[in-house]
Amino acid sequence: MTEILQQIINGIAIGGVYVLIALGLTIVFGILGIAHFAHGSVSMFGGYLTFFLVVQQGLPLVLAIAIALVTGMVLGVLIELLAYRPLRNANHINAFIVALGLTMMVEGANLQFFGAEQIVIPTNASRVFDIGGLTLPELRLYVILGAAVLIAAMTIFVEETKTGQAIRAVAENRDAAILMGINVQMIPLVVFAISTALGVAAGVMVGSLFAIAPGVGEGLVVKGFAVLILGGLGSIPGAVVGGIVLGVTEALAAGFISSAYKDVIAFIVMIAVLLLRPQGLMGRA
Amino acid sequence: MKRGNILLLIVLMLFVALPQLITVKYYLHLSILALIWVIMAQGQNLIQGYTGYVSIVQAGFMGIGAYSSALMSTNLGLPVSATIILAPLVTALFALVAGYPSLRVKGHYFAIVTLAFNMVIFIVLLNLTDLTNGEAGLSGIPKPGNGRGATIDFYDRQVYYYFVLTIAVVMTALAAVIVRSRVGQILLAIRQNEDLVASVGVAAWRYKLFAFVVSAMFAGLAGALYAHYQSFINPEIFSVAQSLDAILAVIIGGSGTLTGPVIGAFFVVFLPEYLRFADSFRLILYGLILVLATIFMPRGIVGLAHDLKTRFGSAR
Repeated sequence: MTEILQQIINGIAIGGVYVLIALGLTIVFGILGIAHFAHGSVSMFGGYLTFFLVVQQGLPLVLAIAIALVTGMVLGVLIELLAYRPLRNANHINAFIVALGLTMMVEGANLQFFGAEQIVIPTNASRVFDIGGLTLPELRLYVILGAAVLIAAMTIFVEETKTGQAIRAVAENRDAAILMGINVQMIPLVVFAISTALGVAAGVMVGSLFAIAPGVGEGLVVKGFAVLILGGLGSIPGAVVGGIVLGVTEALAAGFISSAYKDVIAFIVMIAVLLLRPQGLMGRA
Repeated sequence: MKRGNILLLIVLMLFVALPQLITVKYYLHLSILALIWVIMAQGQNLIQGYTGYVSIVQAGFMGIGAYSSALMSTNLGLPVSATIILAPLVTALFALVAGYPSLRVKGHYFAIVTLAFNMVIFIVLLNLTDLTNGEAGLSGIPKPGNGRGATIDFYDRQVYYYFVLTIAVVMTALAAVIVRSRVGQILLAIRQNEDLVASVGVAAWRYKLFAFVVSAMFAGLAGALYAHYQSFINPEIFSVAQSLDAILAVIIGGSGTLTGPVIGAFFVVFLPEYLRFADSFRLILYGLILVLATIFMPRGIVGLAHDLKTRFGSAR
């Protein structure tokens, strides 16, 4: 029993990372109808940059994360302006192919700048808490808390602020939003900045909790989309539930079945949901 | 004879004469790989170019074809000529299982789900070590025919070239037949407007599944030809990155055309050889080409040539 609980705790930490990735994907999809496939690689870029600033430049971790977040936001805005905006009125499949091209570019750039070696972002969080026989490493706790804070912040931003309202309005009906005087040229840039910031945060978490290496970003973005399929598209609670379900499934699969096949099992769950509940666990029928 | 047919004949004759024109053995090797990629790209084009569904599992299916053909010939001792025919059928079975859930979703989500399948295939190839030998891969995969020194010696690169050329021509012709048939017209209609197709009482999902499975069979066949040509395979070459190359081949050549995949296949095989960059540069460049081609040249090289021809024609 403790073993199961232990794996569930591990799964929640991983799930939190998936939720952050999925939220970044879902707001972009909501506004632009684009499956921003390069999101995973951009997130990894953030993780790599943090590692570089801490290890090579000797910056404190918090400062390094801050710089990575800002750089990531600029990169996200540039991607929107240069790659996606020219395709605003084109077939959505073309936008997806551009997203694939961007993935290759960012992956290649990561490889070029940071090498093919696997890296781990060093942290001081090495304590391990013992709660009734369950072990909770300090770092995992920070990841869970950090993810929770970011999810809450994003929810409040989208639901409560004026800009958040504008984002939802554009997602709902772009033409009506234009008539209401919303700056629809600006909104996608804001959305990409937020999305990439969430992605970079997730990248830093992956980099400190596990490791970053070539290919990790692609795996992560597929998990992010799996979360959206699980949770139901365009729903923030759906993404949270989907992310936790995916993370916990994976942790249980790794703990009790096979760690080599944990991703396979996670994808089987996704496909099962697709077959049985195509609208997702939390989606409206 | 129509002008198009004459052109086709000239291209065919060029392909037949190619081994005599090539002096560097290495280029013959690349040409064989490119012809195998023609089959890959024709398959990708059926689902991506004609049906409008971007599938990212083609390299995975290539892997299933490669491993099943290799294993049937080494473990079961079946003749290679038989396993090359059986391998696409094995691939088709997997594609049926993968296609059914994948095709319940559209657009991007179809792409993502197929990509997940490619990852699953990759992980299984890597970890099912009893059968696949994991990362080390399978070696000593036999060639077709009666071994070294036989009347038709498949160890001779020229012989293998003509063998693959014949199959590539047949498969391209098959793709042409499919596209021009009633089924092909329905696939095109699905690309244009799937809801409309469904509304006139056509069970669109059957046709989509057909296109998906046939495209997988193309990939499986390409995989089998690859395995028996290289005599060695490992999971690495059947990863998602190769599926992206297949998409690039279709886009750059001209999606939804029959000549496009041929041009695209030679492009993705020969370009990295000419640009002897590090792998990271290759990725950046391929990505950039994919982005620029999609934005500025969405109809590929074939579309560009067509535009130039009409402009030239109207100037006269």
